[in-house]
Amino acid sequence: MPIVNIDLAWLNRLLGEPYETETLRESLEQIGCDVEDVVDIERSRCPQCGSLVEHPLGQDEVKSCTTCTFESETAFQRVGSQQVMRLDLLADRPDLFDVGGLARALRGTLGIESGLPKYDVKASGLIVSVDKSVLDRSGYRPFIACAVMTLPPVDETSLVAIMKLQENLHWGVGRDRKLASIGVYDLGTISGNITYRTIDPDKDPFVPLGMPGRKMSGRQILESHPKGMAYAELLANHKRYPALVDGKGQVLSMPPIINSDETKLKQGTTRVFIDVTGISQAAVTKSLDTLVCSLAEIGGRIETITIKDADGRERTTPDLTPRSKEISVAEAKRWLGLPLDDASLAGALRKMRFDVEARGASDEARDSKDSRLAPHNSPLSVLFPAYRTDIRHMVDLFEDVAIGYGYANIEPKLVRSMTVGTPRPEEVLSDRVRQVLIGLGYSEIMSLPLTTEEHQFERLRIPPPERYPLVANPKLKAYNVVRTHLMGGLFEALRENRRRPMPQRLFEIDNVADVDDAAETGSAEERRIALVEIGRESGYATARSIVDALLRELGWQPEYTAIEHPTFVAGRAARFAIAGKTVGILGEVHPEVLSNFGLTYPVALAELTLQRVF
Amino acid sequence: MSDEILLNEAAYAVWQTVKERGPIELGEVVKLTGVDQAQVSAAATEASQIGFFAITETDRDELTVSEGARGLIEAGLPEFRAAQKLNESGGKLAMSDFAAWAKETGIAVNDAIKWGTARGTIERAKGDRGAVLVLTAAGKSSLDKPDVDVGLLKKLNYQGSCFLDELPAADEPKRVTDLLAKRPELAKIKKRTARTLALTPQGITVLDSGRARKIIERNTLTPEDLESGAWREIKLRPYDVTLAAKDVYPAKIHPLRKIIEQTRRAFLEMGFAEVVSPMVESAFWNFDALFQPQDHPARDMQDTFYMRDPAVAPLPGEDSDQLRIADCGLRIEGGKSEIRNPKPEIVDNVRRTHEDGWETGSEGWGYTWSPEVSRQVVLRTHTTAATIRALAAHCGRGGGPPGSLPLAAHSSGSHPPGKFFCVGWTYRNETISFKHLPVFHQVDGIIIDEEANLASLMGTLQEFYSKMGFGRVKFKPAFYPYTEPSVDVVVYMESRGKWIEMGGAGIFRPEVTLPLGCKYPVLAWGLGIERLAMIRFGLSDIRELYRPSLDALEGVPLWR
Repeated sequence: MPIVNIDLAWLNRLLGEPYETETLRESLEQIGCDVEDVVDIERSRCPQCGSLVEHPLGQDEVKSCTTCTFESETAFQRVGSQQVMRLDLLADRPDLFDVGGLARALRGTLGIESGLPKYDVKASGLIVSVDKSVLDRSGYRPFIACAVMTLPPVDETSLVAIMKLQENLHWGVGRDRKLASIGVYDLGTISGNITYRTIDPDKDPFVPLGMPGRKMSGRQILESHPKGMAYAELLANHKRYPALVDGKGQVLSMPPIINSDETKLKQGTTRVFIDVTGISQAAVTKSLDTLVCSLAEIGGRIETITIKDADGRERTTPDLTPRSKEISVAEAKRWLGLPLDDASLAGALRKMRFDVEARGASDEARDSKDSRLAPHNSPLSVLFPAYRTDIRHMVDLFEDVAIGYGYANIEPKLVRSMTVGTPRPEEVLSDRVRQVLIGLGYSEIMSLPLTTEEHQFERLRIPPPERYPLVANPKLKAYNVVRTHLMGGLFEALRENRRRPMPQRLFEIDNVADVDDAAETGSAEERRIALVEIGRESGYATARSIVDALLRELGWQPEYTAIEHPTFVAGRAARFAIAGKTVGILGEVHPEVLSNFGLTYPVALAELTLQRVF
Repeated sequence: MSDEILLNEAAYAVWQTVKERGPIELGEVVKLTGVDQAQVSAAATEASQIGFFAITETDRDELTVSEGARGLIEAGLPEFRAAQKLNESGGKLAMSDFAAWAKETGIAVNDAIKWGTARGTIERAKGDRGAVLVLTAAGKSSLDKPDVDVGLLKKLNYQGSCFLDELPAADEPKRVTDLLAKRPELAKIKKRTARTLALTPQGITVLDSGRARKIIERNTLTPEDLESGAWREIKLRPYDVTLAAKDVYPAKIHPLRKIIEQTRRAFLEMGFAEVVSPMVESAFWNFDALFQPQDHPARDMQDTFYMRDPAVAPLPGEDSDQLRIADCGLRIEGGKSEIRNPKPEIVDNVRRTHEDGWETGSEGWGYTWSPEVSRQVVLRTHTTAATIRALAAHCGRGGGPPGSLPLAAHSSGSHPPGKFFCVGWTYRNETISFKHLPVFHQVDGIIIDEEANLASLMGTLQEFYSKMGFGRVKFKPAFYPYTEPSVDVVVYMESRGKWIEMGGAGIFRPEVTLPLGCKYPVLAWGLGIERLAMIRFGLSDIRELYRPSLDALEGVPLWR
């Protein structure tokens, strides 16, 4: 999970007064944010684009720019350090990804401010027209939402913070730019209204970020620009590439890959244009809403944009109207087991930056102070900000009630119902077997149930069967088969211990699987036990003694029949049956198998099924 | 008899010898008994300490023959050969002639003159033309017989030693001493403290009265000793009990298994029924039933193992034959699956919940749910697949389709409360590192109960973790996809003096429970067994847990 560095001085400025680091840490923990630590982070300046680059923790120098991807032979020039709080990002809460969003939440938990955050929104007058080419399969990226923001003049620190938030939203909401990607532009460099359309991969060249003075076509960018190469896969099936183009025909960006160098934010920029495009409407809306509300927290003013869709309809983005959801106090009390009433529930939710009002309250009544909460148990409506898209059900509100109430304030209880503890039969049986084998001097090992054809079959001289449980996509080739027997792990163990004094006695108890079309998921599973003995005297007779002893203790009567099995010496292997049903095999291991595992003493081996599980 | 004296075999022999031959020199006892010097000495000292032996110490001159003596004497000592030469030369020889002869025969002139003079066989005299050597009368008469020192060495056969005070007067011990004292190439004479042993009168009484008994000292008793009663005469030698003994180790349960068993016991003691589910699992039970949208990143090929064979699993209520080629035979004999196949309508409930929330009060995910994606076969990514199956099976036993939140609906056609847990292998498509294995163990528990709520979740977790050895527990808000609210359990590690995150928990979302026909809220929690084991055993590398090295396994105590 990514970690974000939050500038402590800035956070305290936004909170209005300096707080003890420990107070902030505890408050953040109460809302589920883990503070890794508080450290001084060094920063250096990129000689190409002039951006500040934060040093990764413990690194004295940086040589590559996170903004423009410039890479240098020598270390960038250091510009001093800054105290930061390192936080684990909560994937489900992108509204807590940056200093602005965190300040907003902390103002609630620290009691500085409560209820819905208010954002003044005015119209920018800017129009973005959507061309139908982005709806076509050839250039598919159909959704777009945009905004304009007036910010305090961008400085080095806020520039880094904006970039970082954009990057983290790409991770947390955009699924690494696949579902949605964000572009941020200096509005002053854009002429006239904007069109969202597609461009020819080999025409319409523009200067991409990080390559000042070098015009490149879309295809060239995908083939040779670092960001282009990193994200080329997202446009692999596109015949035309999505782009934002301004009134003069200037290409502003080629989502989801890169913006033009011309339009990038610079120090002193105050008017910013933001677009989010993508293939998921929800991710696009969520990205934009989260971003603008966070930027509003660091002093930005939000302005809307009119979007003319390809079908001629017009809409306005962002739409930050608070959403509302009904909440039942009675159900909240039962779901959470807390002594809540309307007032304490509303108090907890306000702390979490929500508002609560009587359900169906008219706009008039909503304005009047004392009608906001009905005095008794009538249903309540919770108003929550647009950026809290994680709320899809009443229980999601319950969670915020509980967090607002404080997990530490909840008194733990137990359910009163009586139930009976019941172990699985194969576990009961395994425990008995374990007792007998430990009594016989056998030590338990455990090995991983994923293996390969070579370990499972070839080394044991077993011809691979036609079908066995096979993984389609293992990252490691050593894990492409689910084991169908336990012998492989025991031989690996013997190999590991081959320089230790002999004899050695080992066993393993676990489930094995096999392909079985009659089983519900196409795979049968059974509980097996396998044991080996290695030593000068080990052979069929010693394995037989142990199997006899084990079965005697379990009260089972075996019948042995000679078998030919490639893992064992010819004439020294048997299968055994209980009540006419074959349950296992035993024998003296073939010398070639011993040699395959580098073993120089004879080995006796047995494996039997204890119980079918599936 | 309290004053019985028990003597081991060696000491008894010493006593007997001293009785028969005493007073007797200790070295003599060694020779006679064949007991080694240290044991004789120890027996004598012990006997004298209790007043039964008298030990007299005397200083004596001991002569020890030097190793090369025989060769030197048989080759002829220089003074003897000089005396021979003088005799052949008529009793005297000019010094210059003698020197010439000595040089020719390789004899040291000085040695010949020095020892000849000492023996009184050769003399220096003044002749007409300078110095001459003369054979004395004594020298002349000694030509035929060896001198006393040489005689003694010969008598000793040129080896061993003797005390000079034991020599008869005829051997002229004084002359022997004078001749050999400064001739180390032939013999060395040293002062030695000799110990003479004798029985005291008490000693004689003890021995004569039979109160000194022989006993046998041994390291071990044989079965014959025990059977015959000979053990009464046998004394087992005492040991230094503080010395280390050889290390041995018992055969034992695997340390990780031990933790699994502890976890199972905690659940069983709390009234939970153990359940299982297949490791090879359908995406439906692994993901869809848990309200994980079909485009969720956890379902990516990057994170989840998908099976090539079996590749498709039927959804609940579907017939597997329609999905698979029919002629593939069985390969594991055995009984039937124990999973009750829940009602087919849950597939539709799950589909609609994903798409628009169905009757769960949720907005759903707003996409079109695909049965093909749900039929894919994966290696289960969590044991929640087992508890969710148990939930469906348990709740499928009664009641019609649910209508609202589980809390409100329990009045009609209810099912009993239930508690279930599963410990088992879970799989993630990871590469191997000190932190990750592609397969590891998880434990999951659920409680289906009218009183299930956040407060009882915390109470249950407190109880469970206390059984797992963590007495101090606290809870933090967390965000998990299928629980709401979600909780992280943080436990206090006494041994490290710090709080560490141990596992996740929460209340299943209604989008999870309602489609399966569940009427109550469901508490759920889980933890990774390997992580717990690493903390317990102080390991920093997860791979260590699966190294089958006997050295390592023996090194982990069963309890600590």
